[in-house]
Amino acid sequence: MNADRHHIVDSAEHIAPGLWEELAPAATEKERIAGEGFSYGQDVWRRFTRNKMALMGLWIIILLVLSAVFVPFFWTHNYHYQELTYANVPPLLPLYDLGNDQFVFLNKNFKLYQVARSGKLLGLIKPKQRLVAEKQILYELNGRKYRMDYTQLPVRLLDENANEITTGSRVWNKTYFLGTDALGRDLFIRQIYGARISLLVALIATVVNFVIGVLYGGISGYLGGTVDNVMMRIVEIINTIPLTLYVILIMVLLESGFTSIVLAIGTVFWVDMARIVRGQILTLKEQEFVYAAKTMGAGTRRILFRHLLPNTMGPIIVTLAMLIPGAIFIEAFMSFIGLGVAPPMASWGTLCSDALGTFRSFPYQLFIPALAISITMFAFNFLVDGLRDALDPRLRK
Amino acid sequence: MSIDTTPVLLEVAGLKKYFPVKHGTFGRHHHQLKAVDGVSFGIRSGETFGLVGESGCGKSTCARTIIRLYRPTAGRIIFEGQDIAPLNSSELMPVRRKIQMIFQDPFASLNARMTVQDIISEPLDIHNIGTPAERRDRVDGLLRRVGLDAAHAGRYPHEFSGGQRQRIGIARAIAINPSLIICDEPISALDVSIQAQVVNMLEDLQADLGLTYLFIAHDLSMVKHISDKMGVMYLGRMVEMADSREIYANPLHPYTQMLLSAIPIPDPKKARARTPVPMDREIPSPLDLPMGCRFVDRCRQSLAICREIEPGLCDTGAGHWAACHLYR
Repeated sequence: MNADRHHIVDSAEHIAPGLWEELAPAATEKERIAGEGFSYGQDVWRRFTRNKMALMGLWIIILLVLSAVFVPFFWTHNYHYQELTYANVPPLLPLYDLGNDQFVFLNKNFKLYQVARSGKLLGLIKPKQRLVAEKQILYELNGRKYRMDYTQLPVRLLDENANEITTGSRVWNKTYFLGTDALGRDLFIRQIYGARISLLVALIATVVNFVIGVLYGGISGYLGGTVDNVMMRIVEIINTIPLTLYVILIMVLLESGFTSIVLAIGTVFWVDMARIVRGQILTLKEQEFVYAAKTMGAGTRRILFRHLLPNTMGPIIVTLAMLIPGAIFIEAFMSFIGLGVAPPMASWGTLCSDALGTFRSFPYQLFIPALAISITMFAFNFLVDGLRDALDPRLRK
Repeated sequence: MSIDTTPVLLEVAGLKKYFPVKHGTFGRHHHQLKAVDGVSFGIRSGETFGLVGESGCGKSTCARTIIRLYRPTAGRIIFEGQDIAPLNSSELMPVRRKIQMIFQDPFASLNARMTVQDIISEPLDIHNIGTPAERRDRVDGLLRRVGLDAAHAGRYPHEFSGGQRQRIGIARAIAINPSLIICDEPISALDVSIQAQVVNMLEDLQADLGLTYLFIAHDLSMVKHISDKMGVMYLGRMVEMADSREIYANPLHPYTQMLLSAIPIPDPKKARARTPVPMDREIPSPLDLPMGCRFVDRCRQSLAICREIEPGLCDTGAGHWAACHLYR
């Protein structure tokens, strides 16, 4: 190829200048670009929306955020009011049809409730007599006698002739959408408050990662040398101490579990982000476009914020989306082992740990917060997958 | 010749750039990589100075040190009568307006997250030149000047081909009317057909805007075509320097002879008639240079003195400089 050019250049010099004819620039020099112009953002969005699972994850997270923010404003129950008569009422009620539009629900804690056909709780039925030795409780309803028999579990309802009444249809609990806990508090609104806590933790983790993690990693990577060495040793020291220990130590000073978790996440949760950003910056800062900016006279701040960090945005967003479920899980775990929010405030972790004692009788109390944690984690993970694929220019089609 | 009366725009004297190389536990053992080791040359205003040499000989380091991406270890860089070697970054700002650079890799030299408009107007932005509307007009004009469609200003670099990207890089370099442009292998990454277009455009720009080029390449025929003067570098040192045609017609240094004989000739008859200068050994490590002349191990005409004393660059007559004991 060298030879060809050598030849062309040589012979071009031998042609008399008068033989050259200049063409109009429009015809020869302008080069056209076929294809529609996409900005980087449009391109990413196009690829992201093609991934159905990621889109679903995004919708779940949007729904979660909206309900966490707005539901407490109009929900009829609040998270701390205790209605002990309605303790441990499940979301799905198997009803006994007693005729004459009379429906009752027999709970596993030996309480009999009068329920409307729709599933609305009407009230607790007072027992007429308690036969402790026979393990039976007598009730009288509309002149007819019923007895609750708990000689063997599960508890049964018998009519006057001691025949067992079978349950009819199951209806959804209309008074308490997700049932109540052991103190008769509405579980749905407690779930929502749990989501508030989790999302607050996620928000704090995001802000901390963005502000401290990205800046710390960016400065460390760009300045390099001794500065980088010192900054990375600090990161390593922070990283060696487990987060649980931080939370316990901070709790000694602050006495509030949730503030301790927030503070612990705020002070140490950015180290992974700092490392990833530093690694990216280290490779990017040797690229020619950074040298080009320097030859123009661009300062450190301009190079960092206009050239280096925008080019690191893909890995930053992916790392962020991976760290958020981590932060949510840390809060849930801390609350579960009793280091988190103080009662009566609810978080998904405390809801799980409260439900554990009565798990065999009232499994819904554990399943609902566990499901909430799982769905949120899945949603974030699918979102990460979709973002990683969408932001990776090597997968551009 | 009339060109000799024009003022010297850039004069480089004894320029050195050493990089520290650490190895051993905790980097206790320091070595120095002498990437540029005492290079001197001058470029007159409006001239093109070609710098050639094989990969790793220090051409790019030399260019980056002149434009002060690196702090020189020693030597002077006199630009428009001012030594810019010791200046700090704020003192360099006025100089940065006058020296610009065109880079080798058109894919790495443009920020992928900025539009062409932002890329080309960035030097205007940094130096606070013009209002946003004036900058847009300037970018339109520059795009047309380098043969691109001004309507493409809102596009991103990944939408352009290699040659088009290189034109964008050139438009960025000439945006603030510099007097000196350092071209660091601007055509090496391009197709042969595009290379000629870009080189012709560089020549047109030089004629129209009165630019001075420091043109770096490892392609001798292209350098001969574009440059008035030319220097050959070997392992951080200038080994020969003269008018381009003079070097091509009458290479003195054995290394230059070897380089020229390595250019392929498209005509087989001519190629057979030529006696190539054979190449015996690999280039030595710049960390472990031989005593005396750096080329001695590969040189067929080496003398006893070559192993003892390193030859300096001296005038062999008619402005043809060579660093070789054969021409003392």
